[in-house]
Amino acid sequence: MSVAWQFYISTVLIYLGVDIIACWGLNLQFGVAGLVNFAYIIFQAAGAYTAAVLTLGPAVPPSKGGFQTYVGGAHWPFPLPILAAGLVGGALAAVVGIIGIRRLRSDYEAMVMLVVSLIATSVAINQVRLVNGPNGLALVPKPLASLVNLSPIGYQWLFVGLTAVVCVCVYWLVHVVTSSPLGRTLRAVRDNEPAASALGKNVTGLRMLAFVLGGVIAGISGAILVEFISAWSPGSWLYAETFVYFTAIIVGGSGNNFGVMVGALLVPVAFLEATRFIPQFGPPGLIDALQWIIVGVLALVFLWFWPRGVIPERRRRFPTATAGDRRRLALLPPRTGR
Amino acid sequence: MTASTLLAAVGFGIVTASILAVAGVGFTLQFGVTNILNLAYGDIMTASAFVAYLVTNAGLSVWLALVAGAAFGSAFSVLLNRFIYTPFVRHGTRLFGMIIVSIAVSLILQNALLAIFGANFFSLQMPRPSSVHIAGMVFTTVQLAIIAIALAAMLLIHLLLRYSKLGKAMRATATDPELARNCGIATDRVIDLTWALSGALCGLAGVVLVMNVTAFTDTTGSQFLIPIVAVAVLGGIGQPYGAMLGALVIGITSEVAAAVFSPQYKDVVAFVILVIVLLARPQGILSEVATRKEVAA
Repeated sequence: MSVAWQFYISTVLIYLGVDIIACWGLNLQFGVAGLVNFAYIIFQAAGAYTAAVLTLGPAVPPSKGGFQTYVGGAHWPFPLPILAAGLVGGALAAVVGIIGIRRLRSDYEAMVMLVVSLIATSVAINQVRLVNGPNGLALVPKPLASLVNLSPIGYQWLFVGLTAVVCVCVYWLVHVVTSSPLGRTLRAVRDNEPAASALGKNVTGLRMLAFVLGGVIAGISGAILVEFISAWSPGSWLYAETFVYFTAIIVGGSGNNFGVMVGALLVPVAFLEATRFIPQFGPPGLIDALQWIIVGVLALVFLWFWPRGVIPERRRRFPTATAGDRRRLALLPPRTGR
Repeated sequence: MTASTLLAAVGFGIVTASILAVAGVGFTLQFGVTNILNLAYGDIMTASAFVAYLVTNAGLSVWLALVAGAAFGSAFSVLLNRFIYTPFVRHGTRLFGMIIVSIAVSLILQNALLAIFGANFFSLQMPRPSSVHIAGMVFTTVQLAIIAIALAAMLLIHLLLRYSKLGKAMRATATDPELARNCGIATDRVIDLTWALSGALCGLAGVVLVMNVTAFTDTTGSQFLIPIVAVAVLGGIGQPYGAMLGALVIGITSEVAAAVFSPQYKDVVAFVILVIVLLARPQGILSEVATRKEVAA
């Protein structure tokens, strides 16, 4: 395999890993707990900024030749910035969750989150001293690059391995949550909130837990992405990016970790990478515009024909329900609409 | 901060409020009567603005462009509902799914405009405006025209809702569609006509929005969406008079905030008002304002 191909394939694999991690986090919030988080991308962004700032070192003032301003720069050794990114993602999710997780109708909840996403972008752009405003952060040093003495292509594969390790850890986390009694309770909250509440489940606490865990995972995905591409700016996390992840989850199969992985492979990676191979045509920006049109059409087509995705969530059956139980269950209020 | 800058900001606020009122009344009628949160509303505004751009570029007058924009917005909204939204609702797509549908439509429309017209700045061809001093505030003739258009549109909406059968049927459908149908109102037709009317307001708002700016792009309308939603939510969804009031409040506060603090925070005012209202009175704003409205009407 030629070096160019190796570069290309390793890069795609890293993007795939990041997208899979991000989709698992959103699936935990939306697919499992039913939270319509249209601000998901800001938690990825928070993680990315955290990891970048903690790797870049203290900001150099412009008088000494520095070209970017930010708060809290530090030189932390390798895995720490990624862990810190997870913590910051989770902390931000806790703050947003306390404000935004109420019992709102889901279209209102989506609207609140959408606005939160827009406010976050506006703050990041206008508070230039926070994370260098519209230009964003650049030249983030690659992790471990000074310790291991590898050729550029060797380093690429090292990073693929690293992403894979994080993927496995995150999968373990989401698998433990979704397959445990906790996951069952979260699905109960999603499907019939009044019933879960009547059985004594702390509905708000559970939703909050899923929201914060999703935030942690989003932060980690952002950290890996920024350590790889070494730059991050407000243009990388517009609210429409959240829509791409939602589309991936719908296409793959909401609520199913494996399905969501397939969705991440199909939507952000296969569809958006495949367009690299069509020859450039038209004015600049035309292909980008067509990509967005394709993502939109994909979401519509799947919602129409396969609303449960290519690998639907497993229907869970519980054999203990007797005819009498079912009659009693039928008396409960209907499932709240999503 | 002198009194004159403050007064100038209030003047700008009145112009912004006029645009917001046209857009907000359309949005609140649409959402209130049809119960579909149409997040593509801003992009339909942009598309109507592009129609107006084509009309003025063909050498026709800007008044004709306004009519063309409103007609396009109306036709597009009716077709969008007939061929996308209603089929999805009948197919069983619910609240969350409908949001995904409307965001998908918004992305498709916005990027289709980008693909057709390219990433350039556009402006309507209009006669050069002169400036007019009114009560210490300076307006251009274009801005005065925008205010007049908004006032005329609001008056028409008022007459339509208060004195026509259609208006009555619309208000009934917004309050309780089930009951309205049982009373013999053809709610399907009312909903179709609501899309036509609110679409016309949306198109009109798109054209007046770009009359007020020096240049517009494919994202101009969608950037205006959140203030519009804020206006509708502040006034109570489905309450046109509430939206008019909301437009005044948000239009003037945002322009004054821009003058007092910094222009970057113009939109943040609308964002913050929207989030506070949604969180503090999630369902309350609808029901409470609605009941109070019943008494007042």
